[in-house]
Amino acid sequence: MSNAMVKFRKAVLSRSTRRALTSLLVFVLLWELGSRSKAWFGVAMPWVGNIPAPSAVLAAWSKLVGDLGYWQSWYMSTLRVLAGFIAAMLIGIPLGLMMAVSRTFNDITFPTFEVLRPIPPLAWVPASILFWPTQELSITFVTFLGAFFTVVINVVGGAKSIDIRYFQSAQAMGASQWDIFRRIVLPGTLPSIVVGASVGMGITWNVVVAAEMISGGGGGQSGGSGGGLGYFIWNSYVGGSYEQIVVGMISIGIAGYLCSEGLRRAGILFTPWLRSR
Amino acid sequence: MMDAPSASLQRPRRPTHAASQGAIRIEDVVKIYDPEGAAVMAVDHCSLDIAAGEICMIVGPSGCGKTTLLNAIAGFHSITSGSIYLDGEMLCGPGRPQAAPGADRIVVFQNGALFPWKTNLENVAFGPIMQGKMKPREAYEKARDVMADAGLSGTEHSFPGEISSGVRRRVEIVRALMNQPKVLLFDEPYRALDSLTKSVMHEALLEIYYKNKVTIFFITHDLEEAIFLGHKLAIMTTRPCRPKKILEIDIPHPRDYSALTSPRFRELMEETADAVHEEARKAFELGEKEG
Amino acid sequence: MNKRVEIRSGDSAGGAAQAPVVALLKSTMPLQVVSDDLLGRIAGLAQRVSCAPGERLYSVGDQARDVYIVISGRIEHALGLGSGARTLNQVLTRGDVFGWAALLKDVPLRLATTTCLEQAEVLKINGEELTRVFAGDPSTGDVVMSRFATMITRDFTLPEELARVLNIPRRVEVVQPGGLALSMFRLKTWLQSPRPYLMLVGFALFLGFWYFAVEVWKLPRFKEMPGLTAVVTEWLSKNPSYGLSIYTPEYYEHIWISVRRVGIAFVLATVLGVPLGLFLGWSRAFREYVFPVFELLRPIPILAWVPLAIIMFSGSETPVIFLTFLASFFATALNTMLGVESIDESYNRAALCLGANRRQVFRHVILPGAMPYIFTGLQISVGVAWFSLVAGEMVSGQYGLGYVINTSYTMVRYPTIIIGMATLGAVGYITSAMVRLVGDYLMQWRVRELALGGR
Repeated sequence: MSNAMVKFRKAVLSRSTRRALTSLLVFVLLWELGSRSKAWFGVAMPWVGNIPAPSAVLAAWSKLVGDLGYWQSWYMSTLRVLAGFIAAMLIGIPLGLMMAVSRTFNDITFPTFEVLRPIPPLAWVPASILFWPTQELSITFVTFLGAFFTVVINVVGGAKSIDIRYFQSAQAMGASQWDIFRRIVLPGTLPSIVVGASVGMGITWNVVVAAEMISGGGGGQSGGSGGGLGYFIWNSYVGGSYEQIVVGMISIGIAGYLCSEGLRRAGILFTPWLRSR
Repeated sequence: MMDAPSASLQRPRRPTHAASQGAIRIEDVVKIYDPEGAAVMAVDHCSLDIAAGEICMIVGPSGCGKTTLLNAIAGFHSITSGSIYLDGEMLCGPGRPQAAPGADRIVVFQNGALFPWKTNLENVAFGPIMQGKMKPREAYEKARDVMADAGLSGTEHSFPGEISSGVRRRVEIVRALMNQPKVLLFDEPYRALDSLTKSVMHEALLEIYYKNKVTIFFITHDLEEAIFLGHKLAIMTTRPCRPKKILEIDIPHPRDYSALTSPRFRELMEETADAVHEEARKAFELGEKEG
Repeated sequence: MNKRVEIRSGDSAGGAAQAPVVALLKSTMPLQVVSDDLLGRIAGLAQRVSCAPGERLYSVGDQARDVYIVISGRIEHALGLGSGARTLNQVLTRGDVFGWAALLKDVPLRLATTTCLEQAEVLKINGEELTRVFAGDPSTGDVVMSRFATMITRDFTLPEELARVLNIPRRVEVVQPGGLALSMFRLKTWLQSPRPYLMLVGFALFLGFWYFAVEVWKLPRFKEMPGLTAVVTEWLSKNPSYGLSIYTPEYYEHIWISVRRVGIAFVLATVLGVPLGLFLGWSRAFREYVFPVFELLRPIPILAWVPLAIIMFSGSETPVIFLTFLASFFATALNTMLGVESIDESYNRAALCLGANRRQVFRHVILPGAMPYIFTGLQISVGVAWFSLVAGEMVSGQYGLGYVINTSYTMVRYPTIIIGMATLGAVGYITSAMVRLVGDYLMQWRVRELALGGR
């Protein structure tokens, strides 16, 4: 057997994998029992008794997989997330770098930034709706805000922590200000940008889902599930199809996870020097 | 089982109250990391005898496996084969691959391991209180005395983060000695200090040694430090490590800094410098990372 | 004998009488560099002595107890032949210092005879007391003594006496910058830099832009927004047209309700999350069983739980608190676990070496070692709690700041939206700061370590 196969077998059969599988199984079983408690035991368990059972969820999911509207929700949510996220990076990274590089700029902008930061992004939704002409833009704006603050904070922190000796070596070697910026500040901040992006991504998903639920999804096709996953969940609730709620929840979880993973891998691509010691 | 150095060797002077405890015997120890995977042999059939109360200096290039040996004695790592005895009792060996850490073999760590969240006094009193040997009040009293003895009074209520690294080291040694260990294990403790502080630390260490019966197992890459402090010097090969050369340093104790310029010192340096340099070269070519 | 009138400067009406004395002291060569504070203390020790023409203040061989400074008039200073000076006779006027033998080590006796040439007033200061003042401020004392030495050599042309100038040992103390003193120092430095003013510039720009964009220039998208003046007047008015201002009790009710919800959720999340995180970090077996399930649930956005929460829990309070709790819980547990994992292995090993058993290692190493990370996690947790709370309130709550914002929108009370937002921001910041302060208080060792490391 090849080395890779050996490693795979070891990973699959390793103790930690076995334990993980065990506990996941237990979790699903308890869930199933709890949610079916009314039907099977006559008395409903508190809390868990009301939620749909895993088996029902699975059944509903298999039906949804064939529904175009379902996948459209995926698409819409992902689009919003990416739009807001990219906007946050495009504006946040340069802003953060400027704050780190120029003391004066930092002293002027940072306090205002810090005053606005504690306001939860969702609190901006009504103001955003008032301001932007379309619902789409208002959701994207709120999404942008969610990630923006995180990205800037991480960029500033990262730029500040670049070892001063790098600057000194560069200057000793005759680098210009622009060179220093391009070859030291930028790459030095990259790891923090990646971290900020990952955290920001998580927040973005949260915000998108919430915004979709609050502002009614909009921009989707008639009725049904065209307005993004958040809207899908809310609609399922209103419509009484509880299994679909759980489907929606898990879908978002997966989508979010995929995005974060993708980001993490992209980050490794951009910062090869951080790879293994 | 105590190994006395052969009578024909000019026996260097030991502290006036000879230690009767703390003799270490390392017998044919092998340590292989990750045996079924990328098997890396860190220690290769290493045997070494350290007499009770002796200062044994282990010198070798970075990454050669000396720390593994120390960790095996201390009980933090297991060994693959061979055995280690302390005063005749087996610490680890066949049937028991890993020793249990204990207060008879205390480690002084490279980057210092004084608990930053406790004051120096609380640190020093930690051992006896944990072992239940003293009530806290007693322990603090004793700790205060011991610190005063070592010239550390005034720092009792500071935190380790507030004092200089040289002082921190001394507090750590005092913390260890409070437990009257048989063996003190030093893992390149003075590596990060500048040479001026180092020389003060050396004299402080010797002073402490002369007052306490304790075996010292000291890892360093600084040959001068090794010859200045030690009774016995073991030069290790590059990974996997094995004693390349063992010799007794017969400069008489008690030593002070004039020993550094004595002719015997220079002779010993000449004898050993080649061996050390050779191994250092090998390590460099292998691209060893510092451990 | 002529009577000398002696008045202690310190006895007169405090500061007012002292000021000219301090000024005089400052004009003397040795005391030029001393702070006004210290000079004030010296002035308090000084006595004013007046003397008539021909009167002798002291003679060679007398006990040397006091140092003198001339206030007015002229004094003849005649050094004895044994002093070794090049110039023996000098006339001293206002601001000149004499009688400094009182400060010399091992010189108990006068080296000169001093006589008043005309009606004069002098300041008399006890040598020992003066020395004690300087011993309390060794760095200043050092400087003053060396200036005395210079004066003695240069003005009185006495070479050997240099060696006998009183030596004030300079003790380099480790100054413990603690708590209030440190904060005050930082505040002072900050106020003296351009930073506070730039900060105000930033605020002015932001608020100014808002004001102009909405109310003056009436820019296309902006004109629908509530303007700065509208918001501020509403907020501060006793009779707000939309119902909420700092004078209405409802305002504080809403704040309190939101805070209460966050409080309950946060406490619950901490009580459950910290122990969970500690175990996850501490026991490998536990982590291998539990962490996968944890990581399965964590990526699900908190708000996706809303419908499920409504289904699971009855009432309208519980779902909101549950959501807030969930968000905090994940953040706290995760950060705690990471904290435990970040503790340097050496600390564990050191504790084991020193004879601690597993339980003791947990209590004395793991717990305190993870504290900084736990508190970082708690700060994040508070932030996340507010985030979820607002969302929860917007969707399914009654009362609370999130509810206010949402209904203000639906009921077309636009300025109140901004009031809600600003209040949220402020309250969120305060709660986060409170957590941080508690952390700083519990971890004095870290505060001091960071202070000395410099940030």
